[in-house]
Amino acid sequence: MSQGERTGTVLLVLAVVFVALGMKFVSRAGTRFPALQKIPLVDTQFLETATIRKSYAELIRTKADLSDFDCYACHEKGKPPPLRFDAQHNLIVPQEHSDIVMKHGTHNRNNNCFNCHDEQNLELLQARDGRQIKLAESPPLCGSCHGPTYRDWEGGAHGRTSGYWDRSLGPMKRQICVDCHDPHHPKIPPRKPAPGPHLLHPVAALAAEASH
Amino acid sequence: MPTPTSNLPENEGPSPDGQSRRSFLRSAVAASGLAALAASLAPLRHLNDFPSLEQFLQKYYKELTPEEMAKVLKRIEDEVEQQYGLRPQVRDLKPMNGVEFVYALNLTRCIGCRKCVHACVAENNESRNPEIQYIRVVRLPHGSLDLDKAEHNYNPELVPEKGYFYMPVQCQQCKNPPCVKVCPVHATWQDADGITVIDYDWCIGCRYCAAACPYWARHFNFTKPTIPKERLNPDMAYLGNRPRRQGVMEKCHFCVQRTRVGRYPACVEVCPVGARKFGNILDPESEVSYILRTKRVFVQLKEELGTSPRFFYYFDV
Repeated sequence: MSQGERTGTVLLVLAVVFVALGMKFVSRAGTRFPALQKIPLVDTQFLETATIRKSYAELIRTKADLSDFDCYACHEKGKPPPLRFDAQHNLIVPQEHSDIVMKHGTHNRNNNCFNCHDEQNLELLQARDGRQIKLAESPPLCGSCHGPTYRDWEGGAHGRTSGYWDRSLGPMKRQICVDCHDPHHPKIPPRKPAPGPHLLHPVAALAAEASH
Repeated sequence: MPTPTSNLPENEGPSPDGQSRRSFLRSAVAASGLAALAASLAPLRHLNDFPSLEQFLQKYYKELTPEEMAKVLKRIEDEVEQQYGLRPQVRDLKPMNGVEFVYALNLTRCIGCRKCVHACVAENNESRNPEIQYIRVVRLPHGSLDLDKAEHNYNPELVPEKGYFYMPVQCQQCKNPPCVKVCPVHATWQDADGITVIDYDWCIGCRYCAAACPYWARHFNFTKPTIPKERLNPDMAYLGNRPRRQGVMEKCHFCVQRTRVGRYPACVEVCPVGARKFGNILDPESEVSYILRTKRVFVQLKEELGTSPRFFYYFDV
């Protein structure tokens, strides 16, 4: 093969390669991005602004059914209901109140209904100093034990606020203790987290999946 | 394409089919050059999010007269209605007198449920795909604030997890914002109430601000944002949550469409544990004033950078 022929062959091969590459680029010019992966819309339960639970005060506000709170439909007026305890001094919750889980305070320190409820009038609460407190106005009772938290709640550092930060433009709504905390089981139960960020880049998404 | 066959100069020497090598090469180069130009311009066909002439000729935000502003707001309402089939209310809200916003977040309370992230997305018309989220919640192991150990993609059955705490990070509304300093066109600035806002119509998409922000708070619309019609929030503000175009920057603006009319931001409203606190620091009666006065431990994220955030992380001690 002469010098000229070899050069010709190399140039021909190069030309074919370049034309093929050029055709590929032209044919792909229309498609811009790899298709985005589908991201499902977030469940609207995570956009809910309601409190964790509905308190008695909230039920009154929303004019809900309060028949469950009629103590004297079953209890006898003026006669304190008896409390029963098992051998470990755990309170035995009667069947009629089986929806109540007694888990307020550690080491069984708070397993007596009448630490908070008034035994003479079951429709009221009673602070340790003997003050009678309405069910819907319980924060001072909670504050009689949880002083610093009560102080923070009054100042606005603890608890939920909603509505208007500027009270001259609209109402500010402060939630009370029992709007979020079950008085019988005050620790807020763990909950399902909303979905995390979806990674845009497929490779990054795969890597993140592999690291879990 | 022109393939000259005649009028060839004598010295080229015609080939057997009447075409000289030079003319063939010339036409081949011209043709491939045109093809390459067409290929390189092809992506323009997809640029359907082109600004209107009216928007293109719009004046700078701070120079707009009230009448011009009214026209601009009407144009935006028309554009949104055309695109989403829903007539929004777009307002131009100015900062209130005697107000400086401060945010306080209780790290003892936060359970990492990410509800704030999604409430923010819904309120502020952020793109759902690709996702743009102003708030990032990171999980950190107890005992340190070492951001190298932060995990974004935690996904347990239930939160909070034992041994971890959670820290939501969003725009810190710095008193000394690096993002504002680097903007070459003054499309972002700090308003009198402390909120750093962006004029989406003035942003040129250079992303300098995203590079300058030490909190990763700024998010860029690399593609046209997608917002499902049924999830569009029609209560909009010019500097706030009106839908953005492709190629502009966006970030948390303390929900100006809510806070400048006295309401709480969406993330405060939705937080199930009351970890988020917001208010006017110039009002001694406000919640944030109480917190900054009485709480003892605060974290200003990356304090050493001198950005002086208006976002305070605190603990219940």
